[in-house]
Amino acid sequence: MSVIAACILASFTAPENIGTTPQSMLWLLPLAAAIAVIYKATKVQTIIAEKFTKEAVVLFGSIIVFITVTALALHALAWLITE
Amino acid sequence: MAHRRQENHPASILAVAVASWLAPGAGYFLLGEKKRAIIIFVTIVLTLCTGLYIGSIGVINFKGPAALYVKAAQIMNPPIVLILGRYTAAGAYPVHGWPSEIGQIYTMTSGLLNLLCIVNAVYLAHLRETKPTGG
Repeated sequence: MSVIAACILASFTAPENIGTTPQSMLWLLPLAAAIAVIYKATKVQTIIAEKFTKEAVVLFGSIIVFITVTALALHALAWLITE
Repeated sequence: MAHRRQENHPASILAVAVASWLAPGAGYFLLGEKKRAIIIFVTIVLTLCTGLYIGSIGVINFKGPAALYVKAAQIMNPPIVLILGRYTAAGAYPVHGWPSEIGQIYTMTSGLLNLLCIVNAVYLAHLRETKPTGG
């Protein structure tokens, strides 16, 4: 086994160092992208690159906007209760 | 409208379901949907690998303290998670905190997306096998 392959495999045996910071929330972006792509891949009749990409991007944007609005609403509610 | 079911209908649907579980998108490949199969394979494998990279293979632990719904969602991934589960069962790959949470969320999501693809491929196979005959 080559050194590169061994290093790649070894990187899966120890967790990454991710702190509880606001930046760690950015890990939701790849997940939302995966959900949007798979959902659209199962829904569209025929896969045409341009149309498929557009629909997946729109769904990805919708998910992010909805999550952001929900987060802001919950943040405002928490602020109202605690202040 | 009357429908005619082919004799090999259940067998072909089972083949699509098993293929979809063994390799994400393989069910669509059997149905001739190659672009769809490639997109699904790449996306699900990348999501699973991202989860395993963030939380290490320790996030797949069927004998660990994780909730049952976590294990049920993870087992919907391709069978490689069962092999990983055997390696991690002894607790040699401990993972805690955020990396564990994020890794579990990624591996659960990839499993549930794979389940969605299995169900959709089976439905597509059913629709293609059930042909309208008229009359």
